Amino acid sequence: MKTIETSRLTDLAQALSAAGYRVVAPVAEGGVVRLREWTKGLEIALEAVPVNSMKDFLFPRSEVVARFALQEEGGFTPATNERSTPKTVVLGARPCDAAALPALDAVFNWDYRDGAYNARREAVTIMSLACAKADEHCFCTSVGGAPDGIAGADAILRPADGGKRLVFEPLTEKGRALIPAAAGTLAEGTAATQTPVAPPRRFDPEAVGRWLAANFDSPFWKEASLACLGCGACAYACPVCHCFDLQDESDRRECRRLRNWDSCGFGLFTLHASGHNPRPDQSARWRQRVTHKFSIYPQRFKTLACTGCGRCSRLCQAGMAIAETCQRIEALGR
Amino acid sequence: MLAALRDAAKKLLDEKRAVLVIGYADRAGRPALFASKPEDCGRLVYDASCRQNLAAYLGKPEVRARMPVAIVAPPAVLRSIVVLTAESQVATGQVLALAVDQDSFLGTFDAAAAAELLRAKYPALGPAPDLLERVQGLSKKSAAERAAFWAEEFTKCTRCYACRAACPGCYCTRCIVEKNAPQWVSTAALGHGNYTWNVMRAFHQSGRCTLCGACEAACPQGLPLMTLNALLDREALEEFDARPGYDPQAKPFIGSWDAQDDHSYMR
Repeated sequence: MKTIETSRLTDLAQALSAAGYRVVAPVAEGGVVRLREWTKGLEIALEAVPVNSMKDFLFPRSEVVARFALQEEGGFTPATNERSTPKTVVLGARPCDAAALPALDAVFNWDYRDGAYNARREAVTIMSLACAKADEHCFCTSVGGAPDGIAGADAILRPADGGKRLVFEPLTEKGRALIPAAAGTLAEGTAATQTPVAPPRRFDPEAVGRWLAANFDSPFWKEASLACLGCGACAYACPVCHCFDLQDESDRRECRRLRNWDSCGFGLFTLHASGHNPRPDQSARWRQRVTHKFSIYPQRFKTLACTGCGRCSRLCQAGMAIAETCQRIEALGR
Repeated sequence: MLAALRDAAKKLLDEKRAVLVIGYADRAGRPALFASKPEDCGRLVYDASCRQNLAAYLGKPEVRARMPVAIVAPPAVLRSIVVLTAESQVATGQVLALAVDQDSFLGTFDAAAAAELLRAKYPALGPAPDLLERVQGLSKKSAAERAAFWAEEFTKCTRCYACRAACPGCYCTRCIVEKNAPQWVSTAALGHGNYTWNVMRAFHQSGRCTLCGACEAACPQGLPLMTLNALLDREALEEFDARPGYDPQAKPFIGSWDAQDDHSYMR
């Protein structure tokens, strides 16, 4: 078995970096742990679930998807749009982050094969870290996951020997390719892996999905959405949310077509040019969020669009908690 | 204190002086509690962990449809109610404040009475000592260092607009950042668009911000938004004698002009 001392994780990051990988890892900055590009000298923070999810590195918050050169006499010509897809390893993604990949793969290869997403997806290797603890917002076990789940991961690190060591377990070809790249920082050895602490199971997603499909006009939504202030914090932190908005921005020489994240929480979400919005108020928008994740997605892709990471409720200023909403829905369906 | 708060809230609903009471719920994270039945008021709490400015809900159409409303209001939120009244965003008699501070329930007030209470009991609310320290620390740096500090901070912004949603002062039905004909601010959550958005948000709050801290508490990325707000609060106070939220008839200095204003910068 391959193991590494937890204190030597930065050596592993350094070795992978030297082997030509862009290393993405959780780093604490100003009291906030976020996944970011690792550079020499940065400590890797394994304790907290990062505020951002891994999707930032597959589906960035803003990217240029096309460029047009503007001509002085008017008109335009398409210009080349260089896409950067460096070979990347995400070191210390959570199992609930990795579990989002099958759901993202499904939507980005559904009616259209998304070139930008797939190029990044092919270039990324996920080395996830099994969770040693869960907080009150974690609910992976309610949506088919586990604190040591391997869905979507290429390799997993499992805490061992009271957290002093990590056991490295490759799961795919990409994961096995990390062993030579790690250049000896992964040593042959034995260690006693810890039993991960699983959050309690809070609801049955199938029961939630059944109620959702049958109760589109329930008065529940008006009451359940009253606290929502309509920002994008939940959607942007979500490892699965993938709605985007296309915007053209230009200066005198060039127009860039941008793909920005969008959120069903915003009042402008799905607002038509006519002024009509099929989701005219916050209750319709909160219903959209929950229904998309627990009814529409499983119907279309046979997978939930929620991995139970809990980021949305951890970050929500208004205390909107999707697991609690699901619990209440399940109770309504009984 | 809590018994007095709950009783007062209950009374407002009983007497139909309010159809909705918005307060803080007795649950972890202190989320908003929307009480429309007197018996719901038993779950109201207030303590130092209440971070939201509940006056932000006064801009929400679903709440505006249920006026008159009463909101649990610590001093900064009282100021927000006064600012919203001064800016004609809430009509007289539509919003009542259940005023609280760390130690006690202070009573039920309309905007004019809330302003009187503030003038009597909290005449010069300003940044808390730790915030003042942040402002002073940054002020010692050179302009280039300050610009670099903010540029670095703003790269973290994802443009989720949690700060805007948190703020009672951000009540525009269509924010300028979302206007695209013409487009004023780049929508990309990158470099200059992020810088423009964050600085513009703070400027739009100058002389209106009540330093409640809800925007900073709401920011998922931990941006020090209150440092920026407090810097502008200081400018508004020193240059224009503006201390918002003490007079429901006050004209917001950013939207008014006076012949006595300093014109020395015009040539």
